[in-house]
Amino acid sequence: MSVLTERRPLGDTAKAWALNAPAITVITLLVAYPIGYSFYVSLQRNNLKRPKAKRFIGLDNYKALFSDDAFLSALKVSAVFVVVVLGLTVVLALILALVLNERFRGRGLLLSLALLPWAMPGVVNGLMWRTIFDAKTGALNGLMLQLGLIDSYQAWLTSSTGAFLFTALAQVWNTLPFSVIILLAGLSTIPSELYDAATVDRAGAFRRFTQVTVPWLLHPLLIVLILETMNAFRAFDTIYVLTGGGPGDATTTIALLDVQTVLTFTDFGLGSAYAWVITAITLIISVGYIGLLYRKGNFEV
Amino acid sequence: MEFNRRQVLKLAGLGLTATATPGLLAACSNGKPAAGDGSVKFEGWDYEATLVQQNLDKFTQASNIKVNYTPITSAQYVQKVVAEFTGGGGPDALYVYDDSLAAWVEGEYLQPIDGLPGVDEVYSSIFPGNAEAMTYQGKRYGLPYYTDSNCLIYNAEILSKAGFSKPPASLEELESQAAKIKSMGLLEHPIGLPAQLSDTWWAWVWGLVFASGGDLFDNQQAPIMNTTDTVTKDVLTWLQNAANKSKVLDPASLQLLPVPVDNAMKANRYAFTIGARYALRDYNDASKSKAAGKMKMALVPSLDGKVHGTISNTRMYGLAKDTEVKDDAFKLLTYLGGLDANKQPNTAKFWFQERGLGFAYKAMAKDADVLASLKKFADPAIYAHLAEIARPRNVLGVAWYTEFETEMHKVVQGVLSNQVQPSAAVASLAQSAETLKKKYS
Repeated sequence: MSVLTERRPLGDTAKAWALNAPAITVITLLVAYPIGYSFYVSLQRNNLKRPKAKRFIGLDNYKALFSDDAFLSALKVSAVFVVVVLGLTVVLALILALVLNERFRGRGLLLSLALLPWAMPGVVNGLMWRTIFDAKTGALNGLMLQLGLIDSYQAWLTSSTGAFLFTALAQVWNTLPFSVIILLAGLSTIPSELYDAATVDRAGAFRRFTQVTVPWLLHPLLIVLILETMNAFRAFDTIYVLTGGGPGDATTTIALLDVQTVLTFTDFGLGSAYAWVITAITLIISVGYIGLLYRKGNFEV
Repeated sequence: MEFNRRQVLKLAGLGLTATATPGLLAACSNGKPAAGDGSVKFEGWDYEATLVQQNLDKFTQASNIKVNYTPITSAQYVQKVVAEFTGGGGPDALYVYDDSLAAWVEGEYLQPIDGLPGVDEVYSSIFPGNAEAMTYQGKRYGLPYYTDSNCLIYNAEILSKAGFSKPPASLEELESQAAKIKSMGLLEHPIGLPAQLSDTWWAWVWGLVFASGGDLFDNQQAPIMNTTDTVTKDVLTWLQNAANKSKVLDPASLQLLPVPVDNAMKANRYAFTIGARYALRDYNDASKSKAAGKMKMALVPSLDGKVHGTISNTRMYGLAKDTEVKDDAFKLLTYLGGLDANKQPNTAKFWFQERGLGFAYKAMAKDADVLASLKKFADPAIYAHLAEIARPRNVLGVAWYTEFETEMHKVVQGVLSNQVQPSAAVASLAQSAETLKKKYS
């Protein structure tokens, strides 16, 4: 005689844990563990060239950053880079999103073209812009010469200012589409009745933009600000290909210095400390954005 | 036996786990994977990988020793080898840059080869500079793959059009010849140098300093460029003037890596550059270069035009410390970098004849085959003289060399772009060296 036992069904919480367990395991192994380990490494003197000197040094790597000229210089370059890239990205993305939010012939084509740079890997982006800015055969030189704006070909990336601005431009070109998508999604959720009502109230285009569009876009804008700040702080591949960080230190951002410290100098301890500082800074800025903008947005997107 | 759906899923899950677990464990383990078949695991950067493989096949045929060869992209070679040794899966034998030797010995990746068969004979047959570059703290770590030294490369046809029958001996002469070429409208910027930041060393900076008998460090690796030795400052002053006053040095150099400079030389777009001797082989190859037959080599110009020297580099074959097939791996090293049964450096000769790679063996400079080959692209007398006067960087033996080299690139870029004065540049270099010494002490 068989004994039939009645199984008690799993509760919702247990089911949720069971179903998420594989994903949690994978994320723990592939994401959480490396991140935690990198913090542990950042507390060590750990240079692969000197395995015998490896030891736990607490926060010494972090303390050393305050007198590390290379780090302070890279931090300054990164800060200016973030401001320039973020400013250009937000302004251009907003303009493009507003244009693409209108109905007109060829909108689909323009939308596809606007999204194209997003599909391009950073290294390819860097190579493309390096070809365009080339001092001997670059398309930019050719165009400007034909327009009569220059008398002879110029080496655009050899001055500090030129290299910095052109690198920022290349970065903006690569990351702009993502911001456009986010803002466009935000614009599409604004009820048309609000614009109708504002028009009835005799609000002009500028007032409709500041009083209706901007408040509705605060949350998408928040996402753009957070993600683009992180992107600009972590910018590496485009800069590496375009200038290698030069001339001098002009385009040596903290991410570039970090990769160089870890992979070229094999100083994993200091490099991990750099990485954690980048993380901390982007976290602080993100919290600042949220504090500044989240409460002001009245509408969920 | 019947299975219900739940049982099938259970078994499938168990099967997947059983399959994945060893893989995961193997991936996480720190142990060196055993070759199993006793073959020698050999790695190198990816220069002419097909030719390397052909040569290795010959070795296997002659010795019956299997070689498992992996070419690694040059740009990532150092990083990948370091990662492999750190993870416990390094090769048995490998290419080693002289730049990396000290760090890799300190990292316990390599073992000395003193006392192994034929090593003494090899070291007594090669140029002293190469022997020095393969020695660290009195122990020998490599057999030579190839070596080269830097020279002035010039386009004789452009010089002839400008009325010059011989190359410049001094930096002043170099500038005046270039200025004449510029003023005649032959070239806007007659001198080109690869000065974009990259992970590779800037041989031309060292070459210019060594050419005038100067150095950046003394034999104890203490910086002297800001104190007893003024050559570096004078060379930087010349570079700054050439780039910003006479404007004979192309400002686009700051955007140029070595390959674009090579291409410009081969397209007659520069009259002068400073580069490795073996570059002449390509420059004078009619199938690759519009300037073929016009490109010549000369000693690197010096400050006074009388003293001459240059820089050399050495690429070598090294033996891994933890290899389990030491005898076979060393036989491979001997085949590649040593002397054969007839006391001939077979592979070194192979590389010279196939690709013009410089050789460390003194006797090869008088070899009839080598001379015949050499005459096709360079003057054998100048070629040999450069090998005699070349010396390696004496700072290669310090663990912080890579950091210093990187810092030097930035400082030189600052000088070329007129943002840093030469006196400040040498002060900054000395300061960087001291800081690095302290950091690594």
